[in-house]
Amino acid sequence: MTHALRVLRTGALLEARNVITSNFMLFCVFVQPFFIGVTVMFMLRHRPDFDPVYVVVGTALSGIWSAVLFEGNWIIGGERRVGTLELLVASPTPLLLAIGGRLAGSMGFSVSSVALAYVIVAWLFGAPIRLADAPGFALSTLLAVFALWCTGMLLAPLGVLARTISRFVVILEYPVYALSGFLFPILLLPGWTNPISLALPPFWAAQAMHMTSSGEAWALPLAAVWAILLGTGLTALLISVPLFSAVLRRARVAGTLSLT
Amino acid sequence: MQAIELDHVRRIFRTSIGTLRRHTKEVVALDDVSLDVAAGELFGLIGPNGAGKTTTVKILTTLLIPTDGRATVLGHDVVADTRFVRRNVGFLFGGERGLYFRVSGRANLEYFAELYALPPRGIAKRVDELLALVGLSDRGAERVEGYSRGMKQRLHLARTLLHDPPVLFLDEPTIGLDPIGARDLRETIERLRERGKTIVLTTHYMFEADALCGRIAVISGGRIVAGGTPAELKRHVRDLSVVELELFGAPDDLTSRLRAIDGVDSVVVERRELRQVFRVQTADGERAVPRLLGVVGQVDVGRVSVREATLEDAYVRLVGRVE
Repeated sequence: MTHALRVLRTGALLEARNVITSNFMLFCVFVQPFFIGVTVMFMLRHRPDFDPVYVVVGTALSGIWSAVLFEGNWIIGGERRVGTLELLVASPTPLLLAIGGRLAGSMGFSVSSVALAYVIVAWLFGAPIRLADAPGFALSTLLAVFALWCTGMLLAPLGVLARTISRFVVILEYPVYALSGFLFPILLLPGWTNPISLALPPFWAAQAMHMTSSGEAWALPLAAVWAILLGTGLTALLISVPLFSAVLRRARVAGTLSLT
Repeated sequence: MQAIELDHVRRIFRTSIGTLRRHTKEVVALDDVSLDVAAGELFGLIGPNGAGKTTTVKILTTLLIPTDGRATVLGHDVVADTRFVRRNVGFLFGGERGLYFRVSGRANLEYFAELYALPPRGIAKRVDELLALVGLSDRGAERVEGYSRGMKQRLHLARTLLHDPPVLFLDEPTIGLDPIGARDLRETIERLRERGKTIVLTTHYMFEADALCGRIAVISGGRIVAGGTPAELKRHVRDLSVVELELFGAPDDLTSRLRAIDGVDSVVVERRELRQVFRVQTADGERAVPRLLGVVGQVDVGRVSVREATLEDAYVRLVGRVE
């Protein structure tokens, strides 16, 4: 295993152990998706065209997205608050890798939202769950987690470089649920919002997971959706590379790596 | 080649002040600082809070970029060659922060071992060695949040030594430790020096600098105001003795009245609840005592003693800080 992969793995394991006792992450990954899942089940379960797997996917994605949004935005600031940011920067490993590993740990933990969503729908409401394309769904989930991790990597330096925006990041949580079609098709939204949806990795993640779970066809074939999902994620990751460099340069000039 | 060189380094911080009408204020943290540290030397950097000690260390550990001048570690520029410098330095900043509290001490060390690219097969052994070195072998599996301040400090030291760097920066390493813990840490530092490490030590404890450091630089207001061996620094006060007056309920203006006496060089006050200890540096030694007591007047006097000046007295004179 290369050094980069080892750093990612060790960082992910450390963060997974860290977040498992974080009340905020437990809220993002379990409590909030629980209320979303239950609410949507009550709203939709008596409709004739209702497919419970849609709720499983949407609820799970809401948990994963919340983890990505908040952890990605606050991860560098969090390291600074506990005094570990200087230690990460002063190590020979690029900060991007160190943060990437930590974010992967949060992401890995947030995937447990999928299990929670399944429990809500299948066990709490007794709705039958049927995956039309199980291997495809597994691959879609894997690609979705990767693309959302890439999005988190973009949010991490942005949270430092654009602090004013990052203070209001909380308001991005629900609009992205809606714009990405986690629980309702984006066709229900005004037409002018569709280009925004198409630019978001979470939209393609939801699309791939919905297509493989329900078996329904869409305007684009599944392979194309996967490719776009991967492409939007990698684009976010590529943009994050110079932004991480900018964060480091600015912090070393301004002396803002520590609180003291 | 010197292990560490600072060549006319200047560091300015810019901060914004004001709420509605914000304007930028410049603070000069380091002002034309030049110094060098030889390989294998244990070098002390002493000075009051805000003098520039930590800024110096942060520049040398690549965490800050100097505004002007050049700094090198093992011949490599700290701005241009950060990768080399980071592989070859270890640093310890005093205090309780800088650890992942919700995981074990061992997990902390294993994570940083990966960041420093230690060979994967050697990590467990290295972590065991360091936990033993800092006396945490039996507590390594516990979460850091349950550690005492001293244990956290020792874990910091273990983290600093993980990659066995040839150059170490120890920024107030014994701060907050109990006397035995501090003594053990000083012994560890001494052993590291014997193993050939180049060490820069910043401390507020003058006896610590005196006991450990081969050479010391005194920094104040961002400038090096004196440098040399502890013996050389003490020569700044060789003509002086120190009269210590233990008083109870001394008035606020007593310091200035003592300072006004002929032959008094400086006065430092240490306040401990009801008791105040005045340390008066004077060339007159015991002969100054009656004049000092005359100024003290009706204030209750406890102990009065006269002693030779120490490194701390030299420091007080050099820094010119009189409280």
